[in-house]
Amino acid sequence: MTDLDGNFDVIIFGTGLVESIVAAALSKAGVKVAHLDNNPYYGGNEASLNLDELASWADSRSTSSENPETVFGYLAAQRNKFFSISRSSLIPDHSRHYSISLAPSLIPSVGPLISSLIASGVSRYGGYRLLERVGIYSSGSGLQNVPGSKEDIFRSSLSLIEKRRLMRFLVFASGEFEGSKELQGYEQTAFPEFLKSKFSLTHEMMDAIVYALAFCSSDTDSTLFALTRLRSYLRSAGRYGASPFLVGHYGGLGEIAQGFCRVSAVNGGVYILDKKAKKITTPSSTSGDKFVVQLDDIPEPLTADVLVTAPDQIFESLHLPQVQDTPSSLLARCIAIIDKPIPFPPFLSSGDGSSEGETEWASTTGDEDADEPSLVPGAPSGAHVEAPPIDTSVIIFPPSSVNGGSSTKAAQAFITGAGTLSAPQGKYVVYLSVPILDDEDPEPLIEPYLGAILSLAYASEPLFKLTYAQRVSFPPSSTTDQSSISVSPAPPPHLAEISDFASSAAETLYFRIIDILKLRSPQAWTTESSGGASEGGDVFSELKVPMWPPLESSREDEGGEE
Amino acid sequence: MVFDELLILTLNENKKNKDWSKDALSLTTQLLSTHPDIINPEFYTIWNYRRNILINGIFPISSSEEINELLNNDLAMTTKALKVHPKVYWIWNHRRWCLEHIPESSNSSNTQEWRLSTWEKELFIVERMLDADSRNFLAWDYRRYILSSMPVRRSERAELAYTTKKIEANFSNFSAWHQRTKVLSSLWASGEVDRVSSLQKEFELVQNAMFTLPEDQSAWLYHRWLIGSGDDKSILEREIKVIQTLLDEQPDSKWCMDSMVTYKLMLLNNHLPRGTRESIDITNQCLTLLAQLEELDPMRCQRYRDIGGCKVDELSSLKPSLTR
Repeated sequence: MTDLDGNFDVIIFGTGLVESIVAAALSKAGVKVAHLDNNPYYGGNEASLNLDELASWADSRSTSSENPETVFGYLAAQRNKFFSISRSSLIPDHSRHYSISLAPSLIPSVGPLISSLIASGVSRYGGYRLLERVGIYSSGSGLQNVPGSKEDIFRSSLSLIEKRRLMRFLVFASGEFEGSKELQGYEQTAFPEFLKSKFSLTHEMMDAIVYALAFCSSDTDSTLFALTRLRSYLRSAGRYGASPFLVGHYGGLGEIAQGFCRVSAVNGGVYILDKKAKKITTPSSTSGDKFVVQLDDIPEPLTADVLVTAPDQIFESLHLPQVQDTPSSLLARCIAIIDKPIPFPPFLSSGDGSSEGETEWASTTGDEDADEPSLVPGAPSGAHVEAPPIDTSVIIFPPSSVNGGSSTKAAQAFITGAGTLSAPQGKYVVYLSVPILDDEDPEPLIEPYLGAILSLAYASEPLFKLTYAQRVSFPPSSTTDQSSISVSPAPPPHLAEISDFASSAAETLYFRIIDILKLRSPQAWTTESSGGASEGGDVFSELKVPMWPPLESSREDEGGEE
Repeated sequence: MVFDELLILTLNENKKNKDWSKDALSLTTQLLSTHPDIINPEFYTIWNYRRNILINGIFPISSSEEINELLNNDLAMTTKALKVHPKVYWIWNHRRWCLEHIPESSNSSNTQEWRLSTWEKELFIVERMLDADSRNFLAWDYRRYILSSMPVRRSERAELAYTTKKIEANFSNFSAWHQRTKVLSSLWASGEVDRVSSLQKEFELVQNAMFTLPEDQSAWLYHRWLIGSGDDKSILEREIKVIQTLLDEQPDSKWCMDSMVTYKLMLLNNHLPRGTRESIDITNQCLTLLAQLEELDPMRCQRYRDIGGCKVDELSSLKPSLTR
């Protein structure tokens, strides 16, 4: 190794989604990046893990009798973030066929992450599945479908008047409601209050809108805030299919983070996993005004102009704001494996839709993906074809919907199986989360929801269960005053928001780093072509380089995984 | 483009000279593969010329198997063209022509097999086109052509289920509802489906569409077809009530008002004796609705005035004591 090998422009600690997107963009812009992670896997707090890895993850974060002072900084930070951990002792077979996400997510079909995926080329590396169904649970009526589009409403079992009112609301919510007469004076009112006063919606419909369409976790979210978020989802519907949301294969965000790392590596980024930073020296005259990073087991130190780190990856000695000091809230979380699908009620259709063996003739070809038609002889025999079980779905539990559950907060369940390559055929991963208070124990609070899911699936018990509490820190509003160190914000684990939050945060961070690098070496940047920014009439101002240069027409690397 | 112009000139010459050769055929292939659609009279002429070449020059010297293969090639060519230009009449026409010219084989079981597989494939292709755009009325029309020509007919119930599927996927679809009218008419006429109970279910189906999206015209048109000439008084009265509920909920709905007027007038003309209190009330209701429609839909105010005008005359011809 020559001297140059250890010298980088930027060193990034942590391969979570935010950091990985930044790494890819920087490498593509020609910046020399070293990307490090304490863990032996990519993805950080958004990683996709198989069952064995998940078990180790859980065990290493469970508090033990170790002397706290000898506990390595990252682990200490992780134990502060994930605690009250308990898991099944037995791990089911075929552990490697599971891809379990530490941060399950729905990706809106229109939004910053999907745009980054497409613009960076990472979308080519993996597969995606459209969310199939959103359901809402009540103790009285069990599981009901949540209609989110004109077609859903048409087919639903709501009364005619309810259909009219819900559709009228959805049309309002997808339009330009700012300044509308309905919204006047209600911007900061609690969302359910607005719905009741202005749209005459029943309690059930309000629950569906607030918790299952706008994904609020409580009834106190303000109207403007909830409506804006709802609108972004409504406008995502139809791009790839009826649902606004895509789910990534192999655990979603972890696989995506890995994809961005791959783009970075292809463009010159250097990857070092499973190594701890033993010592970090801040820039001084002796170090040529660079950071010096000494890694365990690697004799050559790394140097860089700029450091980026995930909040828990490196030392307190750098005087970064401690995560413990920022305000936070708690989530009770559960990851469970079941071996039965959850049956959703069918969407009703009046008339002839599903009677007397006519469904099998709804299309001449059974397999929509077939290039060749199958010969279909003769008349229908009256056999009734069953729809395949729903693989990937969301079930919302509004407040007070489950005995023993929360009466003020909504719980969210996200279920997915072989359809997203998250589990072997016939098995499903259930992700549950519900907000809790500081002093509450997660397990008894999440248990009733798991019980409801099990009874819906006619399953007696899960094959595997992991429960824990997760601390959600509100990210610091800006990075430190030490301008050459940036802390990437931890994306909040909100099912529908985490993906776009991460992408937007990455974009902000990327441009910040570019600015810092430009300040430090202006000559190196003036001759740079602006990464493909086109002249005249494009979205970006002259000074701002688009984050992703145009993709080359041929694939950048061969052998893409699918 | 210069190259194409030359090509067209050459082809026109050949056509005039009745050149039915294989070379002429490949010239048309060349042109049509690159520009199957261009809105230029020359181009459907080129399709015609191609057909003439096949009929006059190529088929007479080919075996049945060869003809079958040539036709399948042409079908494949138009499939490709349709993916890019799904709404060009002469591409669809060429397909029909190909299907109608599937030859008799020397081996009769072959014929049967060719016919079966070709028509099934046609249906498959038109369904793909309708999946891509369920509102392509050329495709729907072609679908009707296939269904009526297939050697082994599909059941009409199956077709009814197909329209249900398309309507459930997106009920803003004139063609799907239209197809439904065709299939139901046939099923009712043959007695295979009981008209009375079926009609009931159809009203329920279309009401779902009307209430979900009152501005969707296709649902209202279907409703109009279901009402027909308004012979059934109880149905008419029931539907008027249902629409009134919707109008109360959505007072600015033009289609509600328009349909109310239409159906109330039907009630008047078919079922209510003139001059009764009831008929006068209903007439006045219509006039009120028409006045509202004039304001809501000023582009068509003359139509509303026209309808209203007759009724005003009628009213004024009745004895004064009865008209307020």
